[in-house]
Amino acid sequence: MPLIATMPLWPLVAYFGVVVVMVAGILALSWVLGQRRRDRQTGQPYESGMVSTGSARGPLSAEFYLIAMFFVIFDLEAVFLFAYAIAYDRLGWAGYVEMLIFVGVLAAALGYLWKVGALDWGTSRYGKGRLPTSAAGGGDSTRGKS
Amino acid sequence: MRQLLWLIPALPLAGFVILALAGRAMPRRAVAAVAVLALGLACALAVGVGVEFVAQGSATQWTSPADGQSPVPAYAWRQSLWQWVGVDGFKSDVVLRLDSLSLVFVLVITFVGAMIVLYSTGFMWGDDGYSRFFAYMNLFVAMMLTLVLAGDLLLLYLGWEGVGLCSFLLIGFWYKDPANARAARKAFIVTRLGDTAFAIGLFLLFTRLGTLDVQEVLSRAAAQWPAGSTLATAAALLLLGGAIGKSAQLPLQTWLPDAMAGPTPVSALIHAATMVTAGVYLIARMHVLYRLAPQVQLLVGIIGGATLVYAGLSALTQTDLKRALAYSTISQIGYMFLALGVGAWSAGIFHFVTHAFFKSLLFLAAGVIIQRLHEEHDIFRMGGLLRRMPLVFWTFLAGAASLAALPLVTAGYYSKDLILSEAWSSNKLLWSAGVLGAFITALYSFRLVGVIFFGQEKTAPRGRTPAVMALPLVVLAVLAVAAGFINVPPLLGGWPGLTRLLEWTLPSAGIHHDVAAEIGSSLAVALTTLAGVAVAWLVYVRKPAWSEAIVRPGLRRLVWRWWNAGWGFDWLYDRLFVRPFVGLARLNRDDFIDSFFDSVAWTSRQTHRALSLTQNGQLRWYAMVMALGAILALGVAIFI
Amino acid sequence: MSWNWTMADAQALLPLMVVSAAAVVVLLVLACCRRAGVAGILPAGETPATRIGAVLTVIALAAALALLPVAGAAAPRSVTFLVIVDGYGLFFAGLLLSACIAVALLGHSYFRQETSAGGEFYVLLLLAAAGAMTLVFSRHFASFFLGLEILSVSLYALAAYNRASLAGLEAGVKYLVLAASSASFLLLGMAFVYAKTGTMDLGRLAQLLNAAPQPALVTVGLLLIMVGVGFKLALVPFHLWTADVYQGAPAAVTAFIATVSKGAMFALLMRYLVGVNFTLQYPLLAVLTAVAVGSMFVGNLLALRQENVKRLLAYSSIAQLGYLLVTLLAAGPGGRELAIRAAGGFLAAYFIATLGAFGVVSLLSSPQREAESFDDYRGLAWRHPVLAGVLAAMLLSLAGIPLTVGFIGKFYVLAAGVNANLAALVAAMVINSGIGLYYYLRLAIALFTPSRAEPPPRVAIHPAGAAVLAVLTVLLVAVGVYPQPLLRLLAAVVAL
Repeated sequence: MPLIATMPLWPLVAYFGVVVVMVAGILALSWVLGQRRRDRQTGQPYESGMVSTGSARGPLSAEFYLIAMFFVIFDLEAVFLFAYAIAYDRLGWAGYVEMLIFVGVLAAALGYLWKVGALDWGTSRYGKGRLPTSAAGGGDSTRGKS
Repeated sequence: MRQLLWLIPALPLAGFVILALAGRAMPRRAVAAVAVLALGLACALAVGVGVEFVAQGSATQWTSPADGQSPVPAYAWRQSLWQWVGVDGFKSDVVLRLDSLSLVFVLVITFVGAMIVLYSTGFMWGDDGYSRFFAYMNLFVAMMLTLVLAGDLLLLYLGWEGVGLCSFLLIGFWYKDPANARAARKAFIVTRLGDTAFAIGLFLLFTRLGTLDVQEVLSRAAAQWPAGSTLATAAALLLLGGAIGKSAQLPLQTWLPDAMAGPTPVSALIHAATMVTAGVYLIARMHVLYRLAPQVQLLVGIIGGATLVYAGLSALTQTDLKRALAYSTISQIGYMFLALGVGAWSAGIFHFVTHAFFKSLLFLAAGVIIQRLHEEHDIFRMGGLLRRMPLVFWTFLAGAASLAALPLVTAGYYSKDLILSEAWSSNKLLWSAGVLGAFITALYSFRLVGVIFFGQEKTAPRGRTPAVMALPLVVLAVLAVAAGFINVPPLLGGWPGLTRLLEWTLPSAGIHHDVAAEIGSSLAVALTTLAGVAVAWLVYVRKPAWSEAIVRPGLRRLVWRWWNAGWGFDWLYDRLFVRPFVGLARLNRDDFIDSFFDSVAWTSRQTHRALSLTQNGQLRWYAMVMALGAILALGVAIFI
Repeated sequence: MSWNWTMADAQALLPLMVVSAAAVVVLLVLACCRRAGVAGILPAGETPATRIGAVLTVIALAAALALLPVAGAAAPRSVTFLVIVDGYGLFFAGLLLSACIAVALLGHSYFRQETSAGGEFYVLLLLAAAGAMTLVFSRHFASFFLGLEILSVSLYALAAYNRASLAGLEAGVKYLVLAASSASFLLLGMAFVYAKTGTMDLGRLAQLLNAAPQPALVTVGLLLIMVGVGFKLALVPFHLWTADVYQGAPAAVTAFIATVSKGAMFALLMRYLVGVNFTLQYPLLAVLTAVAVGSMFVGNLLALRQENVKRLLAYSSIAQLGYLLVTLLAAGPGGRELAIRAAGGFLAAYFIATLGAFGVVSLLSSPQREAESFDDYRGLAWRHPVLAGVLAAMLLSLAGIPLTVGFIGKFYVLAAGVNANLAALVAAMVINSGIGLYYYLRLAIALFTPSRAEPPPRVAIHPAGAAVLAVLTVLLVAVGVYPQPLLRLLAAVVAL
């Protein structure tokens, strides 16, 4: 038996109608009420009154993204520790052991990152292209050199 | 011993695996040792199993079946190894079955196989594909043993196709010459015609009887189908189709003479002693079906009778030694078919045994001659080898005498005599064909002896025959003479041991013929044989000029040529089937049925092309299709 | 919810723990050994890290495999509400672990000359293996999603492991974006189901499905979950990523995606849907049937004239999974046993043949050059006769030719289909076997036809990869001729 036969159809139709009317209404209203201009500055990005110069696509060191990502990852993992703190009593020794394992894995990951030089800023200890997680640092051209 | 039955086919298979995987890295001596050892052990094991089987079988309370009746259930050992596939309504077991019929085949295959492989270790010594050759040979023996030991028709079919594959590979062993490859292809395609009939026969048996187990098929067929019923006739005919393809009987015989393109030991083992007799085995194995379909059984006899005369006359005119032996093989298998056709079941199998010995002997001797005469195949360029190769002469003589069935002293005589004396009481016409064939056989076999070993020496042989090649010759020569004594008819004061053994499985021929007729038949056979030998001696040794007179221009020469070309069957098939088929195909290139299949292919290709467009590599399109798919799934769920 | 650990729990989870711990250990070893070069001992071009990583990984996977019977002694056992260790799960875990070992060895041969590749491949492989095992043992939405994500995240990195190759990066990005979006479908579906039924327990859910037709929201939720599952299994219409990712990823990783990732997902799907009375869940039945038939046809037709071997195998795997779905639909209340046996047999056959085929591709490839065009394979029989023979055998098995394990698998799937009277599905399967034969044989024949173009360079065959292929080929023939051990194992699995 198709689902359509098991449920009332009208809420769906009504919902669909409401959505269409609402979206169409908003667009129509803004078109009717809004002002339209075609000046020289209309297409410019708004930069708090400053005139923007140069390209937004300037090169940024890959380490910048890496560190940002590491921060996000380890930051998020820390959330679990807060959750554990709340349930500390109830989880007992089993929870404690599990938490130890969790922290241990985190520490292992941190140790790995440290050893491979992912945390070095600017000066790679092991030369370019060694680091698997920072492709941009070495780049394709240096593969196989070291 | 009984539990070791599976080892008999497994040993050659193991030999094949070893040689196929490591053969190229092994020294030649090791290759030879593995090949010979695998078959030798299998042979020894077969003997051990056979002794125990016969001992136990004789000890059981065995009541011989009534005259002319099938002994069902026969005394047999079953070894169920495992189930290959099995669901409700269909199952196929890997099960071995040893009864007296398969025992005889197993003993002959392993023994002759071991002998021929031993011989090949010398024969093939200088060849590049040494390990490849022995790998194929071991695989062949394993497949052949699977065929004869199979207790399930599907397994039998596996062995059947397996030996066909090995035959193909070995005929084309020297594949660099396109002619050899063509011969291999021809053998494969012609036997394929028969195999297709066989496969359809198996489907028929399965759909009607609901099983493929040999024992079950036989007993259910006997219980469910009345004698002469259409189904039994159809099944018997279809299986016969497979048998004549594999055994090179009329009208599917054309591949065997060409199959001589393979190395000579291959011709000896596969195209003389074992594989080509698989058709005989199949008919004997399914004998219940043929007794339910008397017309088909008669047809078997008629095919045999016609083939033996046809091939005998062709053998008479061959100048290529191996082709002469090939036609002789076709002719001798014709005798076996004739025997099966007249109900002389065990006589036919007896002839298989003696034929395996003397024909492989002849081929092996021919191999020595050809190799030592610098690959010379033409018998008229040989001559006078009596003094240069005495060992080969005596062994060849033993084989030829057995082939010609010289009375009393050769194995071939006892088996041929048994066939013909039983044919006499059942069908006079087939009997006369057999006697005529006996004359021709004697004539052509001693023609070979006379032309090759007497007269002027035309090509000087080189080298010596190595001991590994001489030993099998001697052993087989002894057997070609002496193997008949396992089955001496009571009339001559002997004890027909083989017949008694085979009657555990096969129907006995009956004893209703009178002694006088039997003596008369035997005398007739003996006399025609001696006459044939005498004529051959006269024409080819005493008065060689006469043999040249025969082929003087004129009608006789035309006939000679016609027979030489195998009665023009190749030409006929070329005109009758191949060319019209090719022509029709050319004419009908755009016919309706074809266009249907073309349209299927075209539709598939177009769909493929259309679908390929969906694989445009664009991520957003992929994501969208996924979302659409989800919506579609919801739509299907909601609205359908 | 109180939970006390017992030794039995630890015993049941031992294989999973070994694999997970191995990932961490290998990671630390890699960090330490990165610089500790041992000059002169190792072959040129191989860093100690990769060698040690490979050895440790294979040891860990083999240990986990050996520990499965130990875990089996405690089975069946629910460990927390997340995981269940039973015969079914252990069988598939064994299959996955064996495949992982094969992939590790193939990967080792593949990366043989790569100095900068490092050993991270093995860490990711172990993590993916842990994720896959979590999937087959999972009994709860949470562990389902967790296992899936561990598996997927490792695969993103694995697919793009060849950073030098644009195709590899493209494969990684495509897989990342599409897997993430499919996971969002999955999560939404889980939310719907939970909202309506109030349970996240998969076993409980299966019971509900079996009891009565479900309200619309549950059905919609289930279908959205099916989108996520279908994406992982590369079923039509969620299959578009397959060819691109298979082509771009390193051959060893492709073998992993084609086998382990799909096998784990299917095992989970099968565990909870097998035996469900589909007559009560009509919408699900309709969608699954359409997906199965669609996968067979689309997969086979896409492969028809494909000139890239990796893409061809990708399309072939779509069709193979279509066949596999038949077992799911064939189950029904009465056919559970036959269906599980058929699925187990078919998956084992598919694993052997697929690993073997990609194994050959992987042995002929290197990070610098993937051997993927037909031209690389034309005349292979003369350059590498053994490899050509192995690949031909694998293709024949995929086509389902008798005396190969592929025939056994297909035979039982067909038998299950016939048993359940699924005439349409069985017919589609037969037609598609015919279509499939065309392209499998097209490739097989190409192996034996002389090459017109300049033959590609002969590559040295690494012993580790050769050993894997040897084992797979022996299994292919041995199980094809003598399937009894596999069938007995499957029967035992069903009984557990």
